[in-house]
Amino acid sequence: MIFSADTWQITLFSISVGLASTLLILPFGIILAWLFARKEWPLKSVVETTVLLPLVMPPVSTGLILLKIFGRRSPLGEWLYQRGFEIVFNWKGVLIAMAVMSFPLLVRSVRTSFAEVNPRLEQIAASLGASPLKIFFVITIPLAYKGIVAGALLAFSRALGEFGATILVAGNIPGRTQTLSLAIYNFVQLGKDADAYVLLGITVVLAFSFVWLSEWLLRGRQNA
Amino acid sequence: MLLRCRVPLATFDLDVGVSFDARVTAIFGPSGSGKTTLLDAIAGLREIAAGEIEVGGKTLFSSARKINLPPQRRNLGYVPQEGALFPHLSVRRNILFGSERNSRVTDAKMMSIEHVLEVLEISHLLQRSVTELSGGEAQRVALARAILSRPQLLLLDEPLAALDVGLKEKILPYLARVRDEFGVPMIYVTHNITEVLALADWVLVIRSGRLMAQGLPAETLTSSRALRAIPEEELENVFTVEFIDSDKPAGRSRVRLSSGAEIFVPYLPVSAGRTLQVRVRADDILLGTQRPEGISAGNILPGTVRAIDIVDDQALVRVDAREIFCVRLTAGAVIRLALRVGSSVFLIIKTRSFRIL
Repeated sequence: MIFSADTWQITLFSISVGLASTLLILPFGIILAWLFARKEWPLKSVVETTVLLPLVMPPVSTGLILLKIFGRRSPLGEWLYQRGFEIVFNWKGVLIAMAVMSFPLLVRSVRTSFAEVNPRLEQIAASLGASPLKIFFVITIPLAYKGIVAGALLAFSRALGEFGATILVAGNIPGRTQTLSLAIYNFVQLGKDADAYVLLGITVVLAFSFVWLSEWLLRGRQNA
Repeated sequence: MLLRCRVPLATFDLDVGVSFDARVTAIFGPSGSGKTTLLDAIAGLREIAAGEIEVGGKTLFSSARKINLPPQRRNLGYVPQEGALFPHLSVRRNILFGSERNSRVTDAKMMSIEHVLEVLEISHLLQRSVTELSGGEAQRVALARAILSRPQLLLLDEPLAALDVGLKEKILPYLARVRDEFGVPMIYVTHNITEVLALADWVLVIRSGRLMAQGLPAETLTSSRALRAIPEEELENVFTVEFIDSDKPAGRSRVRLSSGAEIFVPYLPVSAGRTLQVRVRADDILLGTQRPEGISAGNILPGTVRAIDIVDDQALVRVDAREIFCVRLTAGAVIRLALRVGSSVFLIIKTRSFRIL
């Protein structure tokens, strides 16, 4: 095997935390996107803007906010620490950073696909006696399937590429919080260009696979 | 059934108050008169400012009593204009979508799935994807879906409007079969007079959100008030006839109207005793004060003028020739012939002016 044990560890760590982050935000993202697309409620625009903030703010700023919220000196961080949960400077910090940074991409994509579902179909389903829950799972979700898959893949890719927020919340600790992006940066800093290129190659292969996979899924759906 | 509601719209308020009890009630009016809105209001898909909606003794909406049942609990079968089939589900799953609602109701209406599929002739489509259906097939599937939810009332929104003329005439008999087979009351929205005359027992004429007239279709649609609501609309007479015999070389078939009068219609290869509907445009009937001779028209029917309505430069003359025929003339023709109520006249109708529905 041409990869070192470290390379494997970094790659697997990035993929698994990225996957966990995507699965974690998926239900919240879908529900929030539906509330944005289908319901009117007070302060909706404020919540919408807040959710989108990590997309436009410097990731480092978002990371700093997360550090202040979850750090051991904050009330929440202290409360969690006393119950055995330490978020910052371990894999959970990586997870939180990835989740927060990729959330807006998921919500935007899913929201658009919900908005494209003809509300008339949901109305007719209701008049045929379907409960709101049945309408959601049997009509809305399947019809918005494309956008949900695309949003999840986008969120996953964004999670893998996360750098700025992660380095503040989780640091760059080899073997504990070092992701592909952080490791590439580290190797370049240390002048280990050959190691950096191996990881670079992995990121290119991963990115290509995801784009290819999402295209394949969307095409497959059209033919179904 | 009681319907009294006010729905604020962009350009006018839809304001209808009416109570009726008929197998098929048509809501008739030009596009943009608020017909679909009215159906949406009955189905609970649109907010109503004030009013009351009651179907079969059950209050669906009442602003006074603060009742507003969600669409799920109104027990109505809505067939929207575009059909609105669920594109990701097969024909079978579409049809069965609402069937759980009243599956416990064991009714004598013979609304078994097999029977509904048979009446609408869609059994062979079950495994298909909805996207593979033709317009006429999709409408029948949407109709089956609504019927199988065993509603207490069917709401049909221009089910034929999206179909081309040839297809319309093919679907109309299915609607008549639904009416006759399943005994579910229907509200049928349309801007087509022929459909009203062919299907409905009662008609509400609305225009710009107001009820202009209501009554028995043949009378109401030929009244001057209704005509004012739909001046550009083609006026037709529709009759249910029983087939007697055919003469292929002569190119005509003999049929009997429900009054017993016999007329000739274009040749049709069907067996005796079969009932059909035929129609003839009010503009295609000639009116004479003496029996004409030496003319080609196959039908010369004696009758008596029952009513004359003059609307602007047109005259609508209702003639009782054992069956009420509505004839549209120029206002000048009424004066030239000195027509008045009670005048004896002859209706002259070419065989080929009759169309089979």
